[in-house]
Amino acid sequence: MELMIFFLIITAGTLITFFIDDISRKLTGYAAFLTILTGIVYYASIPMGTVWQMHLLGFDLKWMRSPAGDFFAWIVLGLGLLSLMYAIKYMEGKARLGYFYAAFLVSLGAMTGVTISRDIVSLFIFWEIMTWSSFLLAIYKAYYGVETKGIKYILFSSMGAYAMLTAIVFIVHYYHTTDLNTLWQAGAFGFSRHWFIPAFMLFGFAVKAAVMPFHVWAPGVYTRTPMAYTSVFSGAMSKMGIFGMLLIVAGLSRLDIGWIRFILGWAGGITAALATLQAVRQNDAKDLLAYSSIAQLGYIVTALSTGTRMGLMAALYLAVLHAAFKGALFLVAGAVEKQAGTTDFREVSGLIVRMPWTFFTALISVIALAGVPPLGGFVGKWLVYESLITETHSYFLVIVIFFASTAAFLYAYRFLFGLFLGQQEHNTEDVHEASWWMLVPMLVLSLVSILTGVFPGLVFKPAAKALSDLHLPSDGWQMSILHNAWNNGVDTITVGSTIVILFLLTAAFITLKGRKNTRRTGTKDISTSGEIPQPDDNLNFQSGFFQPFERAIGKPYRWSMDRIWTDIGTSLAAFFRFLRKIYTGNAQTYVFYVIVFLIILLLFRKQIF
Amino acid sequence: MENWLYELTGFVLTILLAFTVGMFYGGLRRKVIARAQNRIGPPVYQNFLDLLKLQGKTTNIHHGVMSHLAPVWVIVAATASLLFIPVLHGGLWFPNLTFKGDLIFLLYLMVFGSLGMALGVGESGNPNGAIGVSRGLSLMVGYEIPFVLSLVAVMLQFHTTSLTDLMHYQQLTGHWIALENPFAFLSALFAVLGMFHYSPFDIIGAPAELASGPMSEFGGKYLGSLMTGGSIFAFVKLVLITDIFLGGAGHPELYTGLAGVLIGLGELILKTFLLYMIPVSIGIVMPRFRTEQAVRFFWKWPLAFGITGIIWGLYHQINF
Repeated sequence: MELMIFFLIITAGTLITFFIDDISRKLTGYAAFLTILTGIVYYASIPMGTVWQMHLLGFDLKWMRSPAGDFFAWIVLGLGLLSLMYAIKYMEGKARLGYFYAAFLVSLGAMTGVTISRDIVSLFIFWEIMTWSSFLLAIYKAYYGVETKGIKYILFSSMGAYAMLTAIVFIVHYYHTTDLNTLWQAGAFGFSRHWFIPAFMLFGFAVKAAVMPFHVWAPGVYTRTPMAYTSVFSGAMSKMGIFGMLLIVAGLSRLDIGWIRFILGWAGGITAALATLQAVRQNDAKDLLAYSSIAQLGYIVTALSTGTRMGLMAALYLAVLHAAFKGALFLVAGAVEKQAGTTDFREVSGLIVRMPWTFFTALISVIALAGVPPLGGFVGKWLVYESLITETHSYFLVIVIFFASTAAFLYAYRFLFGLFLGQQEHNTEDVHEASWWMLVPMLVLSLVSILTGVFPGLVFKPAAKALSDLHLPSDGWQMSILHNAWNNGVDTITVGSTIVILFLLTAAFITLKGRKNTRRTGTKDISTSGEIPQPDDNLNFQSGFFQPFERAIGKPYRWSMDRIWTDIGTSLAAFFRFLRKIYTGNAQTYVFYVIVFLIILLLFRKQIF
Repeated sequence: MENWLYELTGFVLTILLAFTVGMFYGGLRRKVIARAQNRIGPPVYQNFLDLLKLQGKTTNIHHGVMSHLAPVWVIVAATASLLFIPVLHGGLWFPNLTFKGDLIFLLYLMVFGSLGMALGVGESGNPNGAIGVSRGLSLMVGYEIPFVLSLVAVMLQFHTTSLTDLMHYQQLTGHWIALENPFAFLSALFAVLGMFHYSPFDIIGAPAELASGPMSEFGGKYLGSLMTGGSIFAFVKLVLITDIFLGGAGHPELYTGLAGVLIGLGELILKTFLLYMIPVSIGIVMPRFRTEQAVRFFWKWPLAFGITGIIWGLYHQINF
């Protein structure tokens, strides 16, 4: 019953939020924020293991608060709370707030629903509510181009949904149950029994996790949704795909894992590599982050596909970290968009002096994204590499992953350089720091990146609980010492403290030495081989920033999955046009077919009957 | 308390050693290049004089916080990775933090400095600096691939990701990993060419094109500190390769005490010097690549050697 009450709270809050918008537009954001806050407080009070069952239309629906679902539920609720807090000021003065916040709350509730579902029918129902509500948000800004992007999203989501539905039909047909526990025990998700069941389910989940080649909806939708929701979209909703895949992996036998390793592993690796390459050449912060999200999900999928102790932990760890740093980065992009009007690198630059706190968040999150020690991202990257090298011995896959994460330095730098560094031009002079309602969520998220770098055990503990809940390997995780299968490791406290101490010493030296004679100059006072830059000279280097790299890569930049899908669409359209010549829609043609059929029957009746 | 003091002494001595050797290597390089061009060249200790001059400058200019902190990242990355790398074979030199981090970690720690410096360069707003950063990062994607291939080859061959284990194996058997897996070594050597940014890979600083690129906005104490960090980092890279492939240095089973340390250091300096002369001497005779040529270079033969190294490693696995 408690679980039902949770959804009632969210539903009631959604309705209140929706209608309060007509009374006072200022209150809408606070109402949504309070709703989710109440929901979180109530959710936390539900005892672990609480079950709620219902018989509906011949299906047994079963919800349960379990450690595995809980892990993902907290990603959703935590990021949701912070994003809603951010949205209060971010969405200020925008149109249709009731619509926005209601859809926001519904999608948060639906995602929580996905995590507590213990049978595939309620999983599917929540999944569809989630897709639908996020679609509403994706088309919130109804300007040119949004419709096609939104349709692409809903089209791919429905393809995934139909695939899942087909799998569910087959599951009910073969196993006469929808309960996840029973299905795991029956080995229903193994490839050796009925391969299409896991294949169709995985397809559905892969669409949500934006795995290549089903990622094409993601860049358009991530950039056109209001940034307050994009951080949830990319940080939490894509994790639902990961959660689904985890459910499949949990039901696999030793024999089956080989297939998953190969298919999902390489799908993730190629996704990571190609999406990274795309992210490198974007000229807009939002596009860059969108492609980077796809790439990061690629690592998670690869890590998950190993099905080993470290690989699974890497997937869950990166799921949290990605929610933290990518959530923060989308919020940063939103803050810049609100304060400076655009996130195009060619139009804004040098915001570090205007928005120092936003820059700080961006810096921390980008370092975590790049996986540089001592921040949290490093632990995730380390686990992925070590699990691929020492556990599954996928030596070539690890190179692909490594290529992707080295190339990620390029776009990571570009993001910081494009928005915050570079020349401080006149057009950004009246830009101010974002409101504290927006800064606090961003700073909290960067705190997650910092803390997990030194104490990865903060994530290991709940993640290990989640894994053992699914009967997956989960033993031997410590607070701050990492070990791989060959028993070599890293001590994150030593690493963190060494770097911090060295940093403080060196920074003190360079600041104190000759402090009186050190002065700061503007970005126009630079060495330009004797030519003095005038205040109005634009010295920004932003267009084609990584052009030499693009030339070096060459061919992959000409590949386009979008084009392939368009080609498939065009050929299907041609095929249907051809069919239309047979099914003309004209009654006379059909009468003609009937007569021809009867004549054939009459002529050949001896041969047929 | 004594233990703490011992460790601190170890840190300081290691950093001093790396600094001195690195600075002398820089001077030697200038001397070698001069002699190859039939000049007399500056004295070997010229880098120390330069450093003194730079640190003694009366005015220093920066362009903001990140630009102010740029040399800090470089020094932190260099010294931190130095502390995680064993300088000599077990017992001869301070262990520092060698048991606290493995190779993959080192790989990531080592990029820390250039990324931090790139941020500082970015804040200065100098377009030449930004172009240099763009080139540097692209080049990094280039040479890291063969480097990682060679490391993975070694890791899978010896079933360890720990640098101390690899050194231990070489010390026990006396076999250099460079000979146990020659292809991995070759691929790592190519990567070293890229890491040092000497010709033909000197696209980052490229004096004639970019007016020394990322360095152009740093002067006085900032340039001096960058030089310090760079010298330590040069030593770090050389010691890393020596430790992995060239058997490390020192013979704790034959010589112990001060003699052992001196012999070990002598061996280390000989090996690293010879290794260092490879990028230097290639740099003397080669003209500069274009950026895309430089990046692509690493994805041709070095990549092929790296993959061969992995396959070689798979067929010559050693459990010790």
